[in-house]
Amino acid sequence: MVRSLFLFDMTFWLYLAALTLYVAYLFARRPSMALAPAGYPSEQFDERDGAWATQLGQVATLVTVFGWLVNTAALLTRAFERLEHSGTFAPWSNQFEAMAYVSWAIILGYVLLELRYKIKAIGAFVVGIGFIAMGAASLLPYRYQTAEPLVPALNSYWIYIHVSVTLTSYAAFAMAGGLGVMYLFKERAELQGTQSRFYAAFPDLETIDELGYKAIMIGFPLLAFGIILGAMWANYAWGGYWSWDPKETWSLIVWLIYGAYIHARMTRGWEGRRAAIYAVFGFLMVIFCFWGVNFLLSGLHAYA
Amino acid sequence: MNGQPDALTERETPRTPAPGVGWEEFSRELVEFFASIKLAMFLFLFIAITATIGTVIQQGERPETYVQEYGENAYRWFLRLGVTDVYHTWWFTSLLGLLCVNSLTCFYKRFPAVWRSMKQDKVSVSLAFIKGMKQQAEIPVKGSKEAVAQSLAQHFIEKGYRVLAKNDAGEVTLYATKGVLGRVGAHMAHLSATVIVLGGLLGSYYGFQEFGVCLEGQTYHIPRGNFDLRVDKFWIDYHENGSVKSYNSTLTVVEGGQQQMTKTITVNDPLVYKGIWFYQSSYGDAWDQIEIARVNIKDKESDKVLKTVDLEWQKEQSIDDLKLKLSITDFVADFAFNSTEKKVYSKTVEHANPAIKLTVNERNSVEATPWIFYQFPDLFDIKDSKYQFELVGYKPKKYTGLQIAKNPGINIVWLGSTMIVVGITLSSFIYHRRLWTKIVGTGEGVTVHLGGTTHKSQIDFQKEFRKLTEKIRMF
Ligand code: HEM
Repeated sequence: MVRSLFLFDMTFWLYLAALTLYVAYLFARRPSMALAPAGYPSEQFDERDGAWATQLGQVATLVTVFGWLVNTAALLTRAFERLEHSGTFAPWSNQFEAMAYVSWAIILGYVLLELRYKIKAIGAFVVGIGFIAMGAASLLPYRYQTAEPLVPALNSYWIYIHVSVTLTSYAAFAMAGGLGVMYLFKERAELQGTQSRFYAAFPDLETIDELGYKAIMIGFPLLAFGIILGAMWANYAWGGYWSWDPKETWSLIVWLIYGAYIHARMTRGWEGRRAAIYAVFGFLMVIFCFWGVNFLLSGLHAYA
Repeated sequence: MNGQPDALTERETPRTPAPGVGWEEFSRELVEFFASIKLAMFLFLFIAITATIGTVIQQGERPETYVQEYGENAYRWFLRLGVTDVYHTWWFTSLLGLLCVNSLTCFYKRFPAVWRSMKQDKVSVSLAFIKGMKQQAEIPVKGSKEAVAQSLAQHFIEKGYRVLAKNDAGEVTLYATKGVLGRVGAHMAHLSATVIVLGGLLGSYYGFQEFGVCLEGQTYHIPRGNFDLRVDKFWIDYHENGSVKSYNSTLTVVEGGQQQMTKTITVNDPLVYKGIWFYQSSYGDAWDQIEIARVNIKDKESDKVLKTVDLEWQKEQSIDDLKLKLSITDFVADFAFNSTEKKVYSKTVEHANPAIKLTVNERNSVEATPWIFYQFPDLFDIKDSKYQFELVGYKPKKYTGLQIAKNPGINIVWLGSTMIVVGITLSSFIYHRRLWTKIVGTGEGVTVHLGGTTHKSQIDFQKEFRKLTEKIRMF
């Protein structure tokens, strides 16, 4: 237990460091051409960044990747500890582990995004959410952080796949929420005509909007799959695939909210600002589904 | 689909204008309404909002609970609106029904177009059409228009596009498309909602869910399956630290006097026989049977314990040196007496006032069947007996609580579930791209006019488009 808790702790500090570096990256001195308005193709960020920002950005990425590796090690260590003590392998079997897993998935998603699109400014928002998730986990009381044996209802191979799939969808929605916040920041800056260096590293609004949509399009099928796996599990454990238990109802609510979003995008006016606000709202609902339901509402899922 | 670009003539689907206001007009409006995305968004959100009610207000509680928490007035409204059982109200069910109608109409209205575009598509478009697209480029290239068209088509095919071509006098038009499966996926998702709801309805009309309290060693008839179920054993496994590891029941299915199957079920591992599922659901102490009881036999005069015996349930035991034959013939957990029927029964299932009925045979002359209370040892006296009996402890029989369910709609629900997951996944990761190219001959080469659209994933498409234009420049 001690070993994994130490690694989780280290993950927390590394994510804090990464977040700080990404924020510093945004504030770094840039060549004046960087202040040109939006519309830059995203591949040319290196030119716009200049020496200072580029170096800060590289260190930020390195620290993030290292933090993610430590996060991975922490989850693996916890998995082996679980195997010894509680007869299951899944390192997402209580609230603490689930949060640590979500931040792992958020950071993984971010690293892949950065690899593909090379937009480091997103780090300040998305790594931020990963850090908050890890931080909230560390704030849980100690008795929530240990690997207690699972109650019989949860001790099943379904926990491996149902929980991990659902949590991964939360991570995708977190990514979309972070991008939504970023969009709103950037849009405000554009409306005010701010010439602040801060926004020079931001991609154009359309790109942020599109990436947010992509994140939701990854989260949406994952959540559907997660809910259905949950239904299959319920059918195995409780004798009915759907019992309107608060947790399953709330994940359905979240899914419906995003369902409305993807259809809304097909009609006019639901891109950009509205979509960004909606993505933030959707993410708040995800947080409620993940935290609020476990702590505020009663039900079969209240395993925390 | 086929490797060679082939010529294709354009075909417009004629639109017949509806005459006047009649059934046709009305039905078209109706389809329009039910296929609208606005209705879909409204339904998604409205179902989401109403579904929260049931997570905030406890469902299916007793009236007193609501009155106590919310007051009499609020409770009356609760009943009127059905919020104490929201998910089964007519209006909530109707919302789900409407969503089905909505998505089916959407499928009916839009899928034919998707289907057609899988088979054939509009190839010849005007130059203005290409120039008006969001992604468009104009690239001068050396070579004949046929040669350029050939290599361009080759390139598209390598990239997994389906290519159609049309060779006109002064120009060649190429049409390339990919990823229509993404749209098919969306429509698969649209059908799935109805499939799931149908499966659910089938299950609720032809299925059942019951709860059974079963004692070890007993056999129960399952009328709906016309077979018997014997509960061989129930036990609990513990972890080292004392927390429960698993609840287990060993069950045997008996049909026609034959043992058909035996299985030990646990919470996550039910027994399935003839479509009926038996789940380990709960457990407890039986209120009308015990396994064993410990009884002190005292000498009435000296009040000394002569012997302590462990008596098994309904098994006579001889104590030869005291010339006694004892057996436990009945048990109640919470003693009560019905004076009209003259019957002893258990008031509750709690072991609040346990008592055994002891059948005593002394020297083959004195016979008695007193009730002996665990909490009140001195309540009885057998007149001609030398002895006094005292119940000092007992081990109750455990019962296992089984959830018994049959759901003939379940496989349809899983079919719909698969459709929804596969459908959404396809539509998320595959996006429909369409590219039109016009290769127009100029003096010493050709000009390639390239334009393309996608219905989503703009930035990826943008990137792809840029790569494509770079490629064409190198021809
Ligand atoms: C029942 C649950 C539903 C699910 C799971 C669902 C899912 C989807 C998905 C994943 C897409 C693809 C989105 C994209 O490409 O960005 C889509 C497209 C669409 N949906 Fe739905 N949908 C549902 C209900 C509805 C309803 C009730 C309507 C009624 C109007 C509707 C209308 C549409 C339309 C018009 C499209 C575009 C289709 C196309 O590209 O050809 N959907 N839906």
